[in-house]
Amino acid sequence: MTEAVAPGTGERPAKPRPKPLTFLVAIALVVWTVFTAREVGFRWSTFVDVWTNPLWEKFWPIPWEWVLDRGNVIDPLIETFQIAIVATVIGCGLALPAAFAMSRLTAPNSPTYWVSRIVMSIVRAVPDLFWAKLLVTAIGIGAFAGAWALSIFSFAVMVKLFSETIDGADPGPLEAARAAGSRHVPAVRTGVLPTVLPSYVAYALYVFELNIRASIVLGLVGAGGIGRIVEAQRTFFNFDRILGILVIVFVVVFVIEQISVALRRRLV
Amino acid sequence: MIELKDVSVTYRGGVKALRNVDLTIDDGEFVVVVGLSGAGKSTLLRVLNGLVPATSGSAKVDGIEVVGASGARLREVRSKIGMIFQTFNLAERTTVLNNVLMGRLSNVPAWRSTLGLWPAADREIALEALERVGIVEKAYVRASNLSGGQQQRVGIARALAQKPTLMLADEPVAALDPVTSRQVMGDLARINTELGITTLINLHYLDLAQEYGQRLIGLRAGELVFDGNIADVDDDTFREIYGRSITTGDILADNDT
Amino acid sequence: MTATLPSDQADDAASETGRIPRPLRPRLARLAVFLVIVVGFIWGVSGLDASFERLRSAPGDAWAILRLMWPPDFATVIERGAIGKVLESVYIAWIGTVIAATLSLPLAFLASNNISPAFIRLPIRQLFNVIRAVPELIVAVVLLGVVPLGAWAGALAIGLHSIGTLGKLSSEEIESAAHGPVEAVEACGGTFISRVRWGVLPQVLPQIASYWLFRFEINVRASAVLGMIGAGGIGSELIAQLRFRNFPEVGAVLIITVAVVVFIDTVSSSVRKRIIAGGSGDPSRMMALIRDLGGSGLARQP
Repeated sequence: MTEAVAPGTGERPAKPRPKPLTFLVAIALVVWTVFTAREVGFRWSTFVDVWTNPLWEKFWPIPWEWVLDRGNVIDPLIETFQIAIVATVIGCGLALPAAFAMSRLTAPNSPTYWVSRIVMSIVRAVPDLFWAKLLVTAIGIGAFAGAWALSIFSFAVMVKLFSETIDGADPGPLEAARAAGSRHVPAVRTGVLPTVLPSYVAYALYVFELNIRASIVLGLVGAGGIGRIVEAQRTFFNFDRILGILVIVFVVVFVIEQISVALRRRLV
Repeated sequence: MIELKDVSVTYRGGVKALRNVDLTIDDGEFVVVVGLSGAGKSTLLRVLNGLVPATSGSAKVDGIEVVGASGARLREVRSKIGMIFQTFNLAERTTVLNNVLMGRLSNVPAWRSTLGLWPAADREIALEALERVGIVEKAYVRASNLSGGQQQRVGIARALAQKPTLMLADEPVAALDPVTSRQVMGDLARINTELGITTLINLHYLDLAQEYGQRLIGLRAGELVFDGNIADVDDDTFREIYGRSITTGDILADNDT
Repeated sequence: MTATLPSDQADDAASETGRIPRPLRPRLARLAVFLVIVVGFIWGVSGLDASFERLRSAPGDAWAILRLMWPPDFATVIERGAIGKVLESVYIAWIGTVIAATLSLPLAFLASNNISPAFIRLPIRQLFNVIRAVPELIVAVVLLGVVPLGAWAGALAIGLHSIGTLGKLSSEEIESAAHGPVEAVEACGGTFISRVRWGVLPQVLPQIASYWLFRFEINVRASAVLGMIGAGGIGSELIAQLRFRNFPEVGAVLIITVAVVVFIDTVSSSVRKRIIAGGSGDPSRMMALIRDLGGSGLARQP
């Protein structure tokens, strides 16, 4: 550290010129945003108009009779849950061994690791509902396809989350098991699995929550569940019914989320 | 000039941090405050700039009543009081100069400070403050890249940039090693002599207090139990302040590794 | 008297001989959980209209389609403007994210317990939860009541939905900001705005900006999906090709989408890493810093 100097005397450091890079990036961002806004059809007027648009009246009042009638909403909603449960169980179940293959710590060998990583990146890059639509085309409309699509989605999410947890696990027990002569799979099972299992269960609950939400929209592409009803009502502009559906769905999702959060808290 | 009359502070939860403290400090004095953790040293300092509201009593800084002040008046009082913290409290991700310029916040229009368009005159003041603490060559360095001692000097420069009449230092060297501690204390003492700014410092180490301070204030459980010359401190007064005899933990030199 | 499992009998015997007994309750709990899952699964499958017939043919059907997608037919799809459409999906995602970032930041401040009083904070927190719970597609459907179908509706839907997640994450970040620097600004005589601008913002902005970018990555996928109901972007092309069962074209659309998504993901995550690290990361500076720190600035216990 230098000694104090009387102000005004002594050398001052030169003010660094702002890097041209930061400037360029800032300008580029602004230009890009303006350009994309134009392309997308951004309109300031919407923010104002939307409050006064007379079409809002179509949303009210909510026709409770129709909404609470079993066949209209409750049954499809049950179907939605069934899809979510099945998808979670299948997806997370398969993800358990797969995640071990995908984690640097426990992958049996290099090629497995790299291949699975690449495959997973591609699977994750495909938007979830694309899978749904593809499967609907392949195996037919309905909840069956929806369950498959969400299974793939659950699998992808769980593998990502869980393999990252495995990556961060303590390598000690695994090394010890191996040093004792154990083969790879049993070594992983005793050395790593117990530590990461709580996280796995927590993630599974989280994935279940995600699936409940995702299965709501599956119907919009014909893959079963409450989304089917929403889409049907949309084509008839029955927004009041849609609002009623949303209220019910939201209440149920909220309850499930609270339970899930409470369960997760006990795990961690 | 600082006047505390019958100041009491009770925190939520019933903790009485200060009890009926009476204190007068003249302009230009260099005062050291000592006491156990929890004795009320931090509270005492923070009552003076209103960071902690006093529950009762009056605290006047240069004739302006701090207790109960709010809004523009409180900000005005605070702009004249510079504060230095044990944890430095710098904005780590920005430059040293920007940190020091925060001292000029009360004197710069809001839109200018928010956008970072500081006037040239204020930049000059900030750079001068940095020169005074001998760290101007780091003006454009990111604050988190500095060592602890350097960061504290930036903190001092920030306070100086306010052109304060009062300097409050809350355990300014507790996070620093002995050598750096002495440098920082030296800076504070020099500023007090050269610029005549009233200085109030919380300290833990008695020898440091003795090296740099003249007037010593001892707090114990929120009460003022000693107010006098540092040279007059002996084992009895020490026991009054700390409730026990001097140990090696209280002497900086003995902790010099 | 309930029957005991053989292993439990062994345990009881073991405890009698003084060896460590295995606790009974956690194992019962695990068994119960397992049963719940199995029952739930079976119930779930029952609603799926899944006969063994379908189960057997499903993988085959899916694989058949995949095979039909090869080789992919880029020419037709590009001629029909697929590149433009996929770019449109990116634009929609960008604008949506910008809208969400702009609106969520001030709301996040209002939702933070170190900035906002409870009567403002709690309703806004709930607002975030509600918004998060409604998927973009549903938001889009609702919006279609009042905004004409197209890219703008898609962007709005994405923007509105993202406010929920971004708001929650941002407010958590703001709440975890260290109080010290804020106190310092306060002690200088700073106003509320200054406290936020110089005390809180420098601490939280890098992480929040990285959340924005991560959201953009997700939103690109969302906007592709929104295209399927006509809100602009590549989704509509996928639907069109599927309708006519032009699988090579479908394959092309998929590959183009995946390529763009992967590209954006890669660029975005390296930018995010850079933002979090902050500053120049100049290696020589790091060396100087390490030298400087040697021996000084060590914390001491008072």
